[in-house]
Amino acid sequence: MRKLFAFLAKYSVLILFIILGIISFGMVVNNDGYQQSVFFSSGNTVIASLYKVNNSIFEYFYLKKANEGLAKENVNLQNELANLKLRLDTMTTHPIDNADTQASSIDPNLEINYILAKVINNSTNKQLNYITLNKGIRDGVRKDMGVINEDGVVGVVSNVSEKFAVVIPILNPRIHINGKFTKNNYNGFVNWDGVDYRFAKLNDIARHVIFSKGDSLVTSGYSHSFPEGILIGTVDDFNIEESDAFFDIRVKLAVNFRTLSYVKLIDYLNYEERLNLESEME
Amino acid sequence: MKMVLQNIVSFIVLVLAQVLVLNNIHFMGYINPYIYILFILLLPVRFSRHFILILAFVLGLIIDAFSNTYGMHAFSTVLIAFLRPFAVNLFANIEEDTNPTPSFNSFGIFAFSKYVISLVFIHHTSFFLLEVFSFTAFGHTLLRIVLNTLITTVILLGICAVKRE
Repeated sequence: MRKLFAFLAKYSVLILFIILGIISFGMVVNNDGYQQSVFFSSGNTVIASLYKVNNSIFEYFYLKKANEGLAKENVNLQNELANLKLRLDTMTTHPIDNADTQASSIDPNLEINYILAKVINNSTNKQLNYITLNKGIRDGVRKDMGVINEDGVVGVVSNVSEKFAVVIPILNPRIHINGKFTKNNYNGFVNWDGVDYRFAKLNDIARHVIFSKGDSLVTSGYSHSFPEGILIGTVDDFNIEESDAFFDIRVKLAVNFRTLSYVKLIDYLNYEERLNLESEME
Repeated sequence: MKMVLQNIVSFIVLVLAQVLVLNNIHFMGYINPYIYILFILLLPVRFSRHFILILAFVLGLIIDAFSNTYGMHAFSTVLIAFLRPFAVNLFANIEEDTNPTPSFNSFGIFAFSKYVISLVFIHHTSFFLLEVFSFTAFGHTLLRIVLNTLITTVILLGICAVKRE
């Protein structure tokens, strides 16, 4: 026994090092468990509040960019409004023609409510990038909500606290977003390779699919997070080796992650219903 | 007592500088120097080795919480805290019964620079490897390690040089 104590005393530093090393390495390996715990993330109230103060100091530098984005979105919305008005006019003049088709389908947009949020922390220079938003549970944010801005897809909510939310953006290899070509509906997964914040990879496009540079890629609508047709990016470059079954495609992302300031969270009003129905099948 | 207070202040200042300023450097998409480890590097040579490991763990966890990295900084910082005494023995001649704080004066310019760059390199290698958690695209990871080690070292030596004056 005395020998044991002598041994422990002699190697106590090494033992402590090994214990702390195992704890922290365990956190790295098991990060899924810790992802759930808001305490260890920037969703933590103390940390998020600090980021909020910091953001309020530096946001003035980005006001110009934010204004441009909002102005652009404004124009788009006005165009859309004009189109809808036009459609409404034609419908009211021919009510009987459209009655059947109207009743049988509900515009998917009616199922969605957007929540505006401000980016209070953001990174583009790491392998695993995250975004912190200033909206949380009390504003109706929940896990797995899609996040977009006026240019296109930003990411998916991974962690929510009372007042804040942490988003996994496309710039994080841990997220795969299902996208399809607007041209022909072939779909694949968009995933970041950790190299350049402007580009991501598109996987699973088989070699018989025909597409060209500049083709746009939008969300497929198969997930719980995004409705169909939100821009992810455009094909920047692609190649295929003689022996490969799938293309190696580089996608230029629609969103500039360096200048993110305001984003919208997509709240499916029927989320619970869809989730319950799907889980019954499993 | 003054020493303790000084260290607490430098701990807080380094954490804030790291998470609020340096983590937001967006240069070339690769550069993210981690200067907070200066706290570990500058503790007195004969500081309790147990306590330094615990301080390193706590410091790493705080940085982890701010950057959503779950244990990666904690592991890397604990690693250099453990290796620090070996680096001191390797590069500097410390007389017995003295307990100097590592600096250009106490170690000598070359010895101190070697001490800083080797520990920064170990920390960055550990961190960037844990961050990708694979050896794919190893070239990019290596580039990150080398570039950031150089930049962190330059910043740290700069801070120490200014402090000396």
